[in-house]
Order: sequence, then structure tokens, then C-alpha cells
Amino acid sequence: MSTETASRTESRGILDRLRASPFLSDLLSNRLALVGIVLIGLMVVVALYARLFLDLEALLRTQLGENPTLAAPSAEFPFGTDRQARDILPRVLYGAWLAMLYGTVTVGLSTVLGIGLGTLAAYYGDVTDNVIMRTMDVLLAFPSLLLALAIVSIFPDELGLWRAVIALTLVYIPRFARVIRGAALAVLEDEFVDATIALGAKDTRVLLRHLFPNTLAPITVQSTLNFGLAIIDIAALSFLGFGATAGTPSWGLMLSNGVRFGLLTGQWWWSLFPGLFLAITVLGFNLLGDGMRDALDPRMREAID
Amino acid sequence: MAVSIRFVVKRLLLLIPVLFGVATIVFSILHLSPGDPAIIIAGKNASAEKIAEIRRSLGLDDPIYVQYARFMIDSAQFRFGRSFKVEAGLTVREILRIKLPITLELAVYGQIAGIALGIPAGILSAVKQDTLTDHLTRVGALSGISVPIFWSGPLLILVFAVWFSVLPTSGRIAIDYRVPAVTNMITVDTLLFALGRTLENGFDTDHFAAFGSAVRHLILPAGVIGIYSMALISRMMRSSMLEVIRQDYIRTARAKGQGAKITLMKHGFRNALIPVVTVIGIQFGTLLGGAVLTETVFGIGGIGRLLVEAVQVSDYPVVQGTVLAFAVLFTLVNLFVDMTYSYLDPRIEQ
Repeated sequence: MSTETASRTESRGILDRLRASPFLSDLLSNRLALVGIVLIGLMVVVALYARLFLDLEALLRTQLGENPTLAAPSAEFPFGTDRQARDILPRVLYGAWLAMLYGTVTVGLSTVLGIGLGTLAAYYGDVTDNVIMRTMDVLLAFPSLLLALAIVSIFPDELGLWRAVIALTLVYIPRFARVIRGAALAVLEDEFVDATIALGAKDTRVLLRHLFPNTLAPITVQSTLNFGLAIIDIAALSFLGFGATAGTPSWGLMLSNGVRFGLLTGQWWWSLFPGLFLAITVLGFNLLGDGMRDALDPRMREAID
Repeated sequence: MAVSIRFVVKRLLLLIPVLFGVATIVFSILHLSPGDPAIIIAGKNASAEKIAEIRRSLGLDDPIYVQYARFMIDSAQFRFGRSFKVEAGLTVREILRIKLPITLELAVYGQIAGIALGIPAGILSAVKQDTLTDHLTRVGALSGISVPIFWSGPLLILVFAVWFSVLPTSGRIAIDYRVPAVTNMITVDTLLFALGRTLENGFDTDHFAAFGSAVRHLILPAGVIGIYSMALISRMMRSSMLEVIRQDYIRTARAKGQGAKITLMKHGFRNALIPVVTVIGIQFGTLLGGAVLTETVFGIGGIGRLLVEAVQVSDYPVVQGTVLAFAVLFTLVNLFVDMTYSYLDPRIEQ
């Protein structure tokens, strides 16, 4: 009985703290951000369903002779079939899993590496700061997709979509490093950091206990907004022929084939559905990221009050 | 004059180390790439002596630091040798001189479309904050950013070129027209051609047929780019306008009896435009990068398409030259944006 009361008080404590957080309450009162969360949630469900219940081998295999080739959407094939007579619907669903998987790895890697470099630059300053940030400046001097294109060409084709992941991670790191360095510098100006150092805290303690939690908000916004971009860029590289290997049910590659072989001859379904799913996913992340940014911006908050 | 010569010179000098780094990255990428350029040039069945000879003539046998130094010196002069696949025989400089204007022209028209649509949309959204108009404009803008060009482009081709046949599917001009290349910007060249003919033979709408064809070919690609930039520009215009109309000087202007519309345009718009200019500049850089996609979708032979093809067949001189050209352009555009910024808002420290 007493333990139950204790845990209830504790859980209420967390809920109260969540409710008291102006960031979360602003975010949840933002209808567009909620739509974003719903769209992302739907895509995650689709992705997990595809991963658990669809057989990738079967999706890769040509279905010539078994299914009609280039059939328009019908009750049997809601998204139609492609030139290999493959049913497009399950392939598009599996594309959600690929987009989420490769998107998460790309954004995750560039966030982690960006946090590392950005915090080091801000905390140690001087030479460390200069070396790191000037290197970032050089990487930022290229239009992002072009740099990714050039980097992708280093790696062998067999790596497939992982080539795109490596290239885009390198391309995105500078953005994260910049945002995080800025946020970290602002936190370092605060007196509580001086106080902690004066009390004899080690570097790692200052970095992990004080700096990192206080830069979490801008990092989250940047990651969310970058998620949409990563999914588009991975698809773009596949579209240009530098990503998914032939047959892979990735949205970018399906779009590429649909456009190249099916557009002028009128098989619109071939490119319509992969692109539609791609756009919905990216829209979800952009809606959420936008809402987060508004919720974080104190000037916007004043406007709401 | 808010932008001093000193500021410009200082910023240009600061570009040197960045461009040095850029060239180093290009050099490293190409040297890490698999495949021997000598074999690519000579062909797979070439004899060992032939390949060795090509390696020697390209300087591939020299130590890596010698190759690096030579590359840096060549890059500084923008000399990359001749293409050996994509446009075999032409020097990279010649290829870029022909193809760069094509890419720039497309980016400029796309950006004009984006500005023309984005600024009014942003102002409307800000003035009608939190109404249905505002919500629709904002969702529209976010959708514009979320829809990839390589999907919206093909869909527009499908509707306007395949189903309704009102616009061409791809290319820059109908093949029936032969117009001398002066600037390599198709709208400028066709217009010059039409004006020349008009001066010679008097006015006739036939002279402008080629120009009309060029414009019709530009509508879809520029439109697709325009939708994308409109989204970013209108978003920035909205938030910047919202911030400006809360300022004291706006209240003062209203208090002294100035009408709402005049205040908005005279005091609000000009100040709200400052961050928008930055976005337009950054956008222009992004457009250059996006050229690889737009040009692929619409079959336009600018440097975007050139780079994709060169990477596919490992045409190293072309890859080097194109990537460096893109980076230099991108950097210069960013520099120009910074200068405009401090010109528009003299409070910004130089």
C-alpha cells in the first residue's frame, strides 16, 4: 500500500514536471506538430509491419509470368505492378522500413559526431576550436548533395545504401557541430559552470552533467529537421544512381525507375506511390521539427502568452 | 556606404584558406576513388606499355606530394586538363564555359519565381496571423519543402506534358530552332536572335518563335524550383514580419496617425526583408546543389547533369573542375549574402 502511494506520487511528480515544461506544453498545443507526430507514427508502424511480416527476398524476385506486367492500380494490386510484374504496394511499404532505418543511422551518427566535435570546440576553445571549426567551414563550402555525390563515388557499389549513409553523415556533421558549439558556448557563459569548475569538477563531469543536458533542446530540433532532409537526400542519391543496388525496394530507386521507364509511357503509379510515401514521411518530420523550434523560441512563447 | 572596401577585401582574403581546404578535399576524394584513370583512358584491353605511358603523361607516377602541389597550382589557375569521357577532347574550362550559364539561368528563373510567390505569401500569412489563411499558407510552405524535386518534377511533366500536352517534357528548346550561342543562356540568346532579325527585317512574331519555345521549356523546371524556394522564403518572411510589427517604431508610426497599410509597407516590410535576403542567398546556393536533380529530371545539360555523368564514368578532370566550380560559386554567393546583410542593416558589425 505504502509503496503504491510512493510510486504514484513519483509518477505524478514526473507528469507534473512534464506539464510544467513550457517546451512540451507548447509543442503539444501546436496542432501542426501533432499532425507531424501522427504522420511519423504511422510511418513507423508501416516500417515495423514491413520488416516483420514482409519477405524481402520475395519482394526482390521478378514476378514475370505470375502477375501482369505494368498493371494499373486495381483491387488486386492497389498500387499497380512494375516492369518486373512485381506488386508495388508491399515494395512501397518495405521502403518505409529502409527509409527509417537508413535515416535513423545517418542522423544518429551525424548527431553523435557533431555533439562530440561541437562540444570539444566550445569547451577547449583556442587551437582545438579553430582546427575543428575551420574544417567544418571547408565542408560547408560545398553544396551538400554535391559533396555527398563526390564522396559516394569513393565507395564500391556493393555497399548500396550504406554508401549514402557514410557520405551524408560526413556532409551533415558540420551543421550539428555548429549548432552544438553555439549552444554550448552560451551555456559556458553561465555562472553555474564557473561555480562547478571552481568546486573542482573534472572536465568530463562539466561536459556530461552540465553542458550536455543544457544543449539537448537545440540538438533535438536540429536532428528532427535533419531527419526529413536525410530521407530526401538518401532517396536523391538513389535516384541519381548512387545508392540502392538494383531491385532494392527503396523509394528513391523505385522513383528513378518509374520516372525513367514509366513516365512518358503513362505508367504514373510506378513513380506516384513511392514519392507520395516519401513526401508524407518528410512532411511529418518537418511539421514536428518546425513545432519544436517554435516551442523553443522564447520570442514565440511571448507571442503565445 | 555601409559596406567598406576594407570589409570586402578582408572577406575575400578569408576565402583563400577555405578554398585551399576545398581543393584539398577534392584532391583527396579523387585519390581515394577506386579505378586507375590511365586504364579508364586507355580502355580495359590496352597493353601494359600503353597504360604506363599514359600514367607517365598524367604524372600519376610522381610522389603524392608532387601531384598535390601540381593540383593546387593548376586549381588556382582553374586548369584541369581535358575531359576523357563525357565531352572527350574538350578542356574542362571550355565545357564549364558552355554549361555553367545553363545552370545559372535555370537557378535565376527559379529563384525569381520563388521570390515573386514567397514574399507576398509570407506577408499575407503574417498579417492574417493564426487565421485559416495563415494556417493554409504555412502548411503549403512546409509541403513545398517536403516534396522532393525528383517527385514533383515528374508529376508536373506527367500532367502538363503527357496528359494535356501543353508543355514540353524536357530539354531547353524545340529541336527545330537553331540559334547562335552567344551567352549560352537560352532565353537571352533567343531574344538576341529575335532582336537582331527585327532590326534587319522589321518586326515579325516569327522571329520570337525560338524565344517562345525556350520560355515554354523553362516553365516546369523553374516552377518546380520556385515552389521549393517559395516555401523557405515565405516562412522566413512571415516570422520576420511578425517580429518587426511588434517593434516600438511601428507603434510610434501608428500612434502619429499613419495608416496601417503604409506603416506595414514603409516601416515593416523594409526591415523585415533583411533576414529574408539571407534566406534568398542561402537558397540560391542550395539551388545550385539541387541542379543535379532538376537537370536530371528535365533533361537539361547544365553542370549538374555534367557532374552526375562524370562521376558515373570516372571522368576525373571534369569531376574536379565541376566540384570546384560549384564550391567557388557557392562560397561567393554566401559572401555576397553577408555583404548585402551588412548593407541593409548597418548595425551589424563588420
